[in-house]
Amino acid sequence: MPATDGEWPSDTELLRRHVAGDSDAFGELFRRHRDRLWAVALRTLCDPEEAADALQDAMISAFRRAGDFRGDSAVTTWLHRIVINACLDRLRRRAVRPVTSAGDEQALEALLAHDPDPARATDTRLDVDAALRMLPAPQRAALVVVDMLGFSVDDAAAILDTSPGTIKSRCARARARILPYVAHLRGNRSGSQRVSPAQGGDT
Amino acid sequence: MTHPESGVLAEFQAGLVTGRRRASIASHLAGCDRCAGLSDQLGEIPALLAAAPSPAMPDDVARRLDLVLAAEAAKRLSSERAVDDSPANSPASPGPRRRWDFRLVTQQILVPAAAVVVLAAGGFGLSRVTGGSSSSSAASGSEAAPATSARAAHGTASAGSGATSRSAAVPAIRAPINFRVLNSGINYLPATLAQQLESELHRHAQPAAGPQVLASGSLKGCVLRVTQGTRPGTLALVERAHFQGQPAIVIVAVSGQHDTAWVTASGCSASSDHVLATATLPGTSAP
Repeated sequence: MPATDGEWPSDTELLRRHVAGDSDAFGELFRRHRDRLWAVALRTLCDPEEAADALQDAMISAFRRAGDFRGDSAVTTWLHRIVINACLDRLRRRAVRPVTSAGDEQALEALLAHDPDPARATDTRLDVDAALRMLPAPQRAALVVVDMLGFSVDDAAAILDTSPGTIKSRCARARARILPYVAHLRGNRSGSQRVSPAQGGDT
Repeated sequence: MTHPESGVLAEFQAGLVTGRRRASIASHLAGCDRCAGLSDQLGEIPALLAAAPSPAMPDDVARRLDLVLAAEAAKRLSSERAVDDSPANSPASPGPRRRWDFRLVTQQILVPAAAVVVLAAGGFGLSRVTGGSSSSSAASGSEAAPATSARAAHGTASAGSGATSRSAAVPAIRAPINFRVLNSGINYLPATLAQQLESELHRHAQPAAGPQVLASGSLKGCVLRVTQGTRPGTLALVERAHFQGQPAIVIVAVSGQHDTAWVTASGCSASSDHVLATATLPGTSAP
């Protein structure tokens, strides 16, 4: 990209330039969004190595398929979709669902079903990343895309290739599941209960 | 009714519960502080998640992906030019049919894509990267170099001193604007970069006979960009090779009392460099 002051091409413009043959444009586009894309991949796959591999697959795909982008969504939505698909593809290929053991899920279900006050159902306090790991992948993906990244339900449905109703349902169940673990993080407005790194949060 | 499970409350909040069931939950919530509080907590989760600090991409991942994208760009470029470094390259058409099987293709691509090892021997005639120099041939011993160097933005005074010989018998090579680009099959590694470069410099102390490959415009831009800001020196070597198995460009500059080497990704150009490694080689030039 020419380093001229005042020139700041939009994502769409960068993608257009890339398709037109500009050899720097895609790299620039990637640099703009790579942290969020990394966050998506990492939180969906829960493993940095896998996240890096999935992101590599996704970026190569995006690089090559840029000509297919029709502008019917934002470029970031399109990029996120490719990344999430690469992640979900990887998850499907895993032999065993590694993110929660059966025991964890059953314990969690028991807590939610029987304890009248789920917010106190556990002494386990997790940071957000650890809490997300407690979720089955489809719920986690939905929650990451909607709640963390702020995509609309409709956009999330496009990204995750499902219906808005399914997205809402997965998000709802996911929120209920993680609530006991992250309830302590609430109420920052009142200045209380910030998770400290010592509790297992990464900053 | 008994208190609804939190999952049900969440679904209720999401508008997924309808009809009579919806009505009964609504009326329960109106009268039950505990469930109303739980419902509030559920409603705060989106904000909680949105506020969670987002991990930045680790440097090694960023570098790796930069390399991969640079390789893609190089491959696309070479496909466009119908110049194929390796007969074994996959076809120019975009990607395989299988949607996500890119790892295999990636490896095929990355292998031939040589790293450009730019052994920048400080050819600060490089500041004029437009190939307008009439004098230059590829040979690095060209005496036209000082003239162009004098115009260099870096104002190198060492153009004259660029001929200082190294005590280790690697003479400084003055680079004209059109500097020679070598293609080597060397795979440079971080742990042995300096040693490998030293021996490569020895090997190429004398200009090779016969036709030589001149640097392309983007490579000139790359070298200029990478060596910018360093003390003026003499371009010693610009080479396409590999670094850690990835295509890269190695640049070595003889700069006064020591040699500086940069390794960049092969997509390096005037507008972006992807410096993968640098090395300072034992100073062998006497000022």
